[in-house]
Amino acid sequence: MRFLLQLINGLQVGSIYALIALGYTMVYGIVKLINFAHGDIIMVGAYAVLLTMTVLGWPVYLSIPFSILVCAAMGVLIERVAYKRLRSYARISALITAIGVSLLLENSAQLIFSPTARPFPTIVSMPPIVIGSLRVSFITVLTLAISVLLMILLTIFVKRTKTGKAMRAVSEDMGAAQLMGINVNTTISITFAIGSGLAAIGAVLYCASYPQVTPTMGMMPGLKAFIAAVLGGIGIIPGAMLGGFIMGIAESLTKGFISTQLADAVVYGILIVVLLVKPAGILGKKISEKV
Amino acid sequence: MEKRQRSYAINIVALLVVFGAFTAVNNAGLINKYYMGIIITIGINMILACSLNLVTGFLGELALGHAGFMSVGAYAAALFTMRSGLDAGIGFPLALLFGGLVAAVVGILIGIPALRLRGDYLAIITLGFGEIIRILIIYLEPLTGGARGLLDIPRITDFTTTYWVVAVTVMLLYALIRSRHGRAIVAIREDIVAAGASGIPTTYYKVLAFTVGAFFAGVAGGLYAHYVGMLNPTKFNFNYSIDILVMVVLGGMGSLTGSMLSAVVLTILPEALRQFSDYRMLLYSLLLIVMMLFKPSGLLGHYEFSLTRLLDRIASRLGIDQAIARRREKKRLKSATQPQPGKPLLTVSDLGIAFGGLQAVQGVNLDIQKGEIVGLIGPNGAGKTTVFNMLTSVYQPTTGSIELNGHSIVGKKTYETNRQGVARTFQNIRLFKEISVLDNVKIAMHNQAQYSMASGIFRYGKYWGEEAEMDRRARALLEVFQMGDLADSKAKNLPYGQQRKLEIARALASNPQLLLLDEPAAGMNPIETQELMETIRLIRDRFQVAILLIEHDMSLVMGICERIVVLDYGKIIATGTPEEIKHNPKVIGAYLGE
Repeated sequence: MRFLLQLINGLQVGSIYALIALGYTMVYGIVKLINFAHGDIIMVGAYAVLLTMTVLGWPVYLSIPFSILVCAAMGVLIERVAYKRLRSYARISALITAIGVSLLLENSAQLIFSPTARPFPTIVSMPPIVIGSLRVSFITVLTLAISVLLMILLTIFVKRTKTGKAMRAVSEDMGAAQLMGINVNTTISITFAIGSGLAAIGAVLYCASYPQVTPTMGMMPGLKAFIAAVLGGIGIIPGAMLGGFIMGIAESLTKGFISTQLADAVVYGILIVVLLVKPAGILGKKISEKV
Repeated sequence: MEKRQRSYAINIVALLVVFGAFTAVNNAGLINKYYMGIIITIGINMILACSLNLVTGFLGELALGHAGFMSVGAYAAALFTMRSGLDAGIGFPLALLFGGLVAAVVGILIGIPALRLRGDYLAIITLGFGEIIRILIIYLEPLTGGARGLLDIPRITDFTTTYWVVAVTVMLLYALIRSRHGRAIVAIREDIVAAGASGIPTTYYKVLAFTVGAFFAGVAGGLYAHYVGMLNPTKFNFNYSIDILVMVVLGGMGSLTGSMLSAVVLTILPEALRQFSDYRMLLYSLLLIVMMLFKPSGLLGHYEFSLTRLLDRIASRLGIDQAIARRREKKRLKSATQPQPGKPLLTVSDLGIAFGGLQAVQGVNLDIQKGEIVGLIGPNGAGKTTVFNMLTSVYQPTTGSIELNGHSIVGKKTYETNRQGVARTFQNIRLFKEISVLDNVKIAMHNQAQYSMASGIFRYGKYWGEEAEMDRRARALLEVFQMGDLADSKAKNLPYGQQRKLEIARALASNPQLLLLDEPAAGMNPIETQELMETIRLIRDRFQVAILLIEHDMSLVMGICERIVVLDYGKIIATGTPEEIKHNPKVIGAYLGE
């Protein structure tokens, strides 16, 4: 019973990681950049909901779409200002810039909102769902349902729509896509917008379970989501989901049965083992460099 | 006095003068405790920045866990001092060394698995390891004091120790970079595939650079521990690793001088701007972004300051220099080829490779005799470069065997195959762009020198003799290609034709018995192609190598090759003399379509 409960907890956390991991994976797939600032988009999304709800008194159904829009705009802005110029540069430059953007967001938030944690308002208050002797909180079920739904929608979007096809083309070969009349800049912007929008939803779901907002709150879930993306095979959408669930379950089981302190170490340990055994991730294919 | 002794004398005198000046100012009571603290912190940061620069700047791999190595060294050194009970005079240097060694061991343990990955993944995995180290320090409470920290460490780090540790660190790192080992590290940054093909064991040098970086971070940790007197694991977090990275990036990735300067500036600046301390990280983040967008190589790029050079320049301005005439002897280059009559040099049988379901090359049989020039032609996508990649162990064949002088090279690493005597050029030129023409050639001579790491760092034993010999041979080789006067230019600044020639020179520098040229005439005009033909013949006669070349320029192929092999759809469809090939209906069919 305890095991089942931890497993469900793991699935809940894992689905949040998966939502955030999708942003990493989509961006990496298309511009081959680890967007370090993606984790901090979670923080931006959380503050957007928090401020509109508590200061402006907006209802939830307005506040969340607003937060998604803010995050999407932020993602596009970051790409346009900081990353676009660096597309043809050495990878290390882009990576350092991404770290810089991440620090910029965190420290700006610290100056604007102060480093103290703020409580996150309750989004939904529904009684827990009881199946037999198992009590599962409503938010857990909601998180799982929303995440799975979004993942299905995203998969359909990428596979079936014209924009999705453009995204796949750009990630395959930017130059060739351009020659086929695809607007690469717009496609990349859309990718950043979708990824960041998903991060905003991830932020709301994350805060629903851990109701605290701080300027650096995005770092840990961001990092874990990134690990999830690498675990599943970065650049592969189902890989991000798989990786997210594995991470969530591993973390939850370690916390429940071994030691809370070591949970993070176990998470990194899994990453290291996977990268050593299968560097391209669980669903990834080995690509050797063309000489 | 010889040049190198003069250079040493100048630097040692300069070090002593600076030290003496500082000590005098300090003894006069002009430096209070607060300023002394800043000076010592600058020293510690210099070591950290220079050691990270070895990994990030020279090796070109982004490592985000440098603070982790520092913490390992700090705890190890502190525990050594506290548990050993040795007198500070002997105990402290030993403690620093111990801290460095423990950090180096951790560096090897982390480096071996982590460095199998590249770029982004490596950054993340070092970040992960950095965090694991921190978590473990908290977890190992009985030893480390856990989250409460380690208290009551003797505070014995003073100016003298810091100064000399910094001086020794920088000298050793500088010497390392200027040795064949350092050139190997830089070659990996510039082009890892070409480095392997030039005979550099890439994994070994990656781990080496990583370990040396970890060692000095550990030493810096030891200094830090004995300076503040207490250690707290939270100090060594991700942000601290970023602080060090900012120093490296700002000063210049690949410039120790830059790292030292930015260590000074970035240590003093936050102190001077104490009232704005909230803005420090904000400033750092902006600095990182702006730097990358507008000057990605950092303020100094790869520039290194040299006091000897400065003095020489001043002397020459004043007209008191004695111009040292360059000795340019054109001794005949030694060739490694040992003729074994009767047997072919290269024997390839039933060679094949499949990528997933695609059979790219199948059933290739090929013999090459010593000193022979063989052409490998075929339509685009026929699998010619894939054959080259298998002959140099860049790809491993799925079937068949490759033997050079009777020794199989299947399953070998690229650098091992190069050592056995196969060198190559690349279809799209892969030079070590950011470094000099001369060093490009020297990198490929890596395995002809034997001097050890220690000999290179401490500059004793074989170092001087072998370096001088390498220098002489590299220059002589460049003379063969009429590139002697370009020795000090950066490879990327050469015109296209010269870059192609340099790539051939680099390949020859590793003393191959078989030289593989991948489309050497691509992009050349007819006159250049004509010259290239002469050069190829000259190379064969002079260096007694067998040459296998891929080329689309039929005038070159027909004019120079003694034998031609035609590949189509991964299979050999014809072999023979140029005359036979010209009239072979199968070949004509493959090129023109039936």
